[in-house]
Amino acid sequence: MANCQETLNEMYAYLDAELAAERATEIIGHLKVCTDCQSAYEFHAEFKTIIRVKAQNDELSEGFLDRLRECFGDDALNDA
Amino acid sequence: MTVNMTTREDFTHDAMQHAPQLFSTAMRMTRNRSDAEDLVQETFIKAWRSFATYQQGTNLRAWLFRIMTNTYINKYNAQQRKPTETELDDVEELFLYKRLGSVDQSQLSQSAEDQMLSLFTDDEVKKALEELPDQFRIPVLMSDVEGFSYKEIAEILEIPLGTVMSRLHRGRKSMQKMLYEYAKERGLINEALLPQGDDE
Repeated sequence: MANCQETLNEMYAYLDAELAAERATEIIGHLKVCTDCQSAYEFHAEFKTIIRVKAQNDELSEGFLDRLRECFGDDALNDA
Repeated sequence: MTVNMTTREDFTHDAMQHAPQLFSTAMRMTRNRSDAEDLVQETFIKAWRSFATYQQGTNLRAWLFRIMTNTYINKYNAQQRKPTETELDDVEELFLYKRLGSVDQSQLSQSAEDQMLSLFTDDEVKKALEELPDQFRIPVLMSDVEGFSYKEIAEILEIPLGTVMSRLHRGRKSMQKMLYEYAKERGLINEALLPQGDDE
């Protein structure tokens, strides 16, 4: 099982799904028994979600998608 | 080069699925709507021109983000390599988490950690991202907003994996500090509530 310091150091790698399965299991093992680390983990998981949700809701201008579709025309290929 | 209609329609259809996400990322990169629209348009034109080199089965989304990122870096002379040490303050670990207790409870309808995060407005999160220097902002955007893996980000930015990880780490901490400052400016923070002399 991982200790507190290791868990906090590797918390983001775990959140980003970048840890090998075996190591992830060790981190989960620690989170299950340590409420301090569990609470820090939940906060950072929420923080990551908040960034994604709040930075991804830009409204598209009217007509923008139509203009984008025009990018896939014959002209683009002929100019290449 | 001749492209049959089905190929074109398929490619257009597939690429258009990614337009809203590309646009949001372009907004965070350029910080304004008109430049962001131009950037996505330029990305699609380039993607369509290099369609011949696009290998069926490769990750279209990562490919489009790579074209857009390269276009942005070249067009805006974004500094991609070797950030100097002074470009971002070194922020302590778990910066925001350690300051949860400083949220003035009278500002909240509920309690505990979720509420601090719910205090941040969409505009504040966007602004915090946009204030990061390019070399930190792009990895954070690619990971936290777009969900790309470290390996994909390393490929998109053509930087080593370890560099992706360290820039993500510093960029995220810096964002936490900025968001805390915004909350302070709005009078949501009472630092007297923090335990004294508890620096670890």
